[in-house]
Amino acid sequence: MALRNRPLPTDIYEGWNSFLPLDGSAYVYGTSAEERSAHPSDWEARCSNVKFVRVTERNSSEVSVDLGVAASSDGNVQLRSKEQLRRFWNDVGAESVYLDITGLSHHVWAPLLRSALTTGSNLKAVYVEPFDYRFSPTPTEGEIFDLSERIIGISPIPGFASLTETDDDDVCFVPLLGFEGTRLQYLVEQVQPPAEKIVPIIGIPGFRAEYPFYTYQGNQSALRDTKAWKNVRFAAANCPFSLFYALEDIAKEYPLDLLKVAPIGTKPHALGAVLYNLASFRPVELVYDHPIRKPTRTAGSARLLVYHLSSLSLNIRE
Amino acid sequence: MGQDQESSQTPEEQLSRLFGSFKAEWLQEQLFDLFTEPAYFPELVTPRPCLLVGGRGTGKTTALRCLSYEGKFALSGRQPDLISTWPYYGFYYRVNTNRVTAFKGPELPDEQWVRAFAHYFNLIMCDLVLRFLEWYELHSNTSVEIGYDACQKVAASLHLATGNTNRELADNLDDSRLRFEAYINNVGDGQRPPLSLQGAPIDELTKAVLSLPQFMDKSLFFLLDEYENFEDYQQQVVNTLIKHSGQLYTFKIGVKELGWRRRATLNENEQLIHPADYARINIVEKLKDERFREFALSVCNERISKLRFKDQTLPLSIESLLPGLTEDEEAERLGVNQAVASIFKDLSSTVPSEDLSLLGEIPPLKVYLIKFWSEGGQTPLHEEYMDFQNNRRTWDTRYDNYKHALLYTLRRGKRGIRKYYAGWDVFTHLAASNIRYLLELVVESLLLHLGQDKSLSQPVSQEVQTEASQQVGKKHLSDLEGLSIHGAQLTKLLLGLGRVFQIMAADAAGHAPEINQFYLWETLDTADEAQEEELNRLLTSAVMHLALLRSPGNKLADETQTREYDYMIHPIFSSFFLFSHRRKRKVQLRGSELLGLLKSPKNTIREILLRSNRTIDEPLPEQLHLFEAYYDGAS
Repeated sequence: MALRNRPLPTDIYEGWNSFLPLDGSAYVYGTSAEERSAHPSDWEARCSNVKFVRVTERNSSEVSVDLGVAASSDGNVQLRSKEQLRRFWNDVGAESVYLDITGLSHHVWAPLLRSALTTGSNLKAVYVEPFDYRFSPTPTEGEIFDLSERIIGISPIPGFASLTETDDDDVCFVPLLGFEGTRLQYLVEQVQPPAEKIVPIIGIPGFRAEYPFYTYQGNQSALRDTKAWKNVRFAAANCPFSLFYALEDIAKEYPLDLLKVAPIGTKPHALGAVLYNLASFRPVELVYDHPIRKPTRTAGSARLLVYHLSSLSLNIRE
Repeated sequence: MGQDQESSQTPEEQLSRLFGSFKAEWLQEQLFDLFTEPAYFPELVTPRPCLLVGGRGTGKTTALRCLSYEGKFALSGRQPDLISTWPYYGFYYRVNTNRVTAFKGPELPDEQWVRAFAHYFNLIMCDLVLRFLEWYELHSNTSVEIGYDACQKVAASLHLATGNTNRELADNLDDSRLRFEAYINNVGDGQRPPLSLQGAPIDELTKAVLSLPQFMDKSLFFLLDEYENFEDYQQQVVNTLIKHSGQLYTFKIGVKELGWRRRATLNENEQLIHPADYARINIVEKLKDERFREFALSVCNERISKLRFKDQTLPLSIESLLPGLTEDEEAERLGVNQAVASIFKDLSSTVPSEDLSLLGEIPPLKVYLIKFWSEGGQTPLHEEYMDFQNNRRTWDTRYDNYKHALLYTLRRGKRGIRKYYAGWDVFTHLAASNIRYLLELVVESLLLHLGQDKSLSQPVSQEVQTEASQQVGKKHLSDLEGLSIHGAQLTKLLLGLGRVFQIMAADAAGHAPEINQFYLWETLDTADEAQEEELNRLLTSAVMHLALLRSPGNKLADETQTREYDYMIHPIFSSFFLFSHRRKRKVQLRGSELLGLLKSPKNTIREILLRSNRTIDEPLPEQLHLFEAYYDGAS
């Protein structure tokens, strides 16, 4: 498909301090120990006409939100509740909404995003790239970087459970690769896809030029064992739309298979996978292992990206 | 694949295809072509519940898939006429973690999750049966409509829209599942759809199927693979069905060792008991030693017979391809003769030359034993030699006990091969009844062999076999990290224990030979419940994922009592770490020491070794240099 039919509606800023949310908008965010998620508190002082809403994880399926006094909820939102999520966005009450996914876990931002896309508000996602990732002091083949403490294990992202059954042979498994090869190994072990139907996607160009090489290095064991290296596809590491289109292409190549997508790479790729899950007419299953991130997994912050999700006019399934 | 196509592939490609797809899920249709019936298979086809227990790679999935109707069809030559003659029809289902973990969370109280899951399980099992009926009609060209009344009953039982035919019932079931999916995804909103009674729709549907003329006197099997993936309460839900199955259908369960965590049904006082309620088939126990060797021989030779080469050469049989070494032959390759020459020289200065003639008459390894013994007992060499001359029978017994252990000491601290792991017999020991591991050892050896421009009509050298076994061990060590959520801990545990046993093997003089097992001290040294729980979790995970093998200790053991078992590092890792692959002697370890291997490896390894007056100073073998950072980790 020609590029003109595949828009990439993204604004790229050199750093978080060269961007400010628009007046009258709402900015929904979370913070983690990573430096790159700290910017909203700085903006809060500078943008008096922007409603900042901080989201904090309570447990695997609930968040608390800081909406001020005008909220209709008690400040807690269950992530497996269409009704509570809808109320939350009503309480946010802005037509133009930013959802900053930098400091939020997948299991939090994905259900928020799904709900926001169905409310009709003008939704933009924000992501800040890290300046660098932390190298492991004791690297092994699958662990060059020191990013996750452990994983909780596979379970559905709230609101994204799929009960569609299919024969094990009728599955195309699409892992979106990051640096941690053991996570790919774990998922392959759990999903058990047919070896020739594993189609990994690597972020190229990466946040930095050398990152794709680390991705290959970290994942080499599973890529070699399954021979999935033959099927590798590429999509820009910071572009959810490129990932979305890559999934579209893969779906066309495997028209009869259930697509199982594992968003274990960059957050923009995970965003693309969630968008594809929501917009696809075919069942697409997200498979995620829920890592516990190390607080110091990244250092500094680099570019800030604003993705104009609503401008894609996706037909979102509720 | 036709023979022409086969012979056009390179030997490497053919080997990779026939031996390299170790996993059942990677073989797809080839799985059935390559199936070799294991000795326990007849037990599985009896019409009673069976629990098939085994680690990864022991063949659970292969056996269950071969019991399924798709498998049976392929195994019986895809002959539609025969379908109606089968005595049983099996429906295969692999428990999918990404589905079953959706049924938990703080939104509902436990008892409501039980009801929701029981309904979901009804939907899945009924779907399996309906898909089978569709398949049966398609392949046998005969109608197997269960009829209007039965459709109504099943639909009512599942709260589906009514359907008149199997197809309509299946479609309505599909719609219902989608609605149920929407409910689970928004479980916080309430609005629960009506739920079916546990097992009731399965009973209705299977009753209807068995009343059809095609299925009179037939057995129906639900084949549930990877039972360990169920949550604890979900195992209880399915256990309840297993307990009360029998009349209409039965269950065949595939589970990893220690993966069946709950034996109770939903009634906590009601347990599933072997053999009253089910037959327990432990693959490792059923395929022990000679039985495994026979099974493995037949699997490998069957695959080798499918190799076709352009030059029409015939490959050797697997036993001939993989020759081993006797201990004396191996000792010679490891340089025992140099050691003997030095012993001879040492003794020459203190023993009259006529008394030394005996040294030339006995195997060099036995001569080496004399020096080994003198070092262990810190006695002068000539005294031990005198003792050897005067007490030959005692030394014969000693030689029998230490012969193998001596091999680990001959090239202690040197570069290159320090110990050989070669021969079909040794490979079957390394695999420890695990057919996947054996296939990996075989294919790795053969590929390395071909890489040296050799053919499969020539035997593989012992050096190549040893290198292959180390590579397979290394691969499994690095794979361990990705096997489970405790993977990183398992890797550290194995690195620590492997190093301990490696040093014990190399520094064996004055110690019991071939120590490669451990058991836990009775006293609770941890005195901390959280630590005890962590230890149990670690050991359970290590056994489930084949880092360790366990066997009942001296006392009668309850399966859940980790402290009453003996543990051994899986022999597949023995060539990587360099210790004996044979199940031999054991050492006591504290629970806190096992946990210490994760948190402060260097100090813990030192402490363990110190108890037997060994030191940590032994240089790391080359293959362990990759993990130097772990071994340097004081804390």
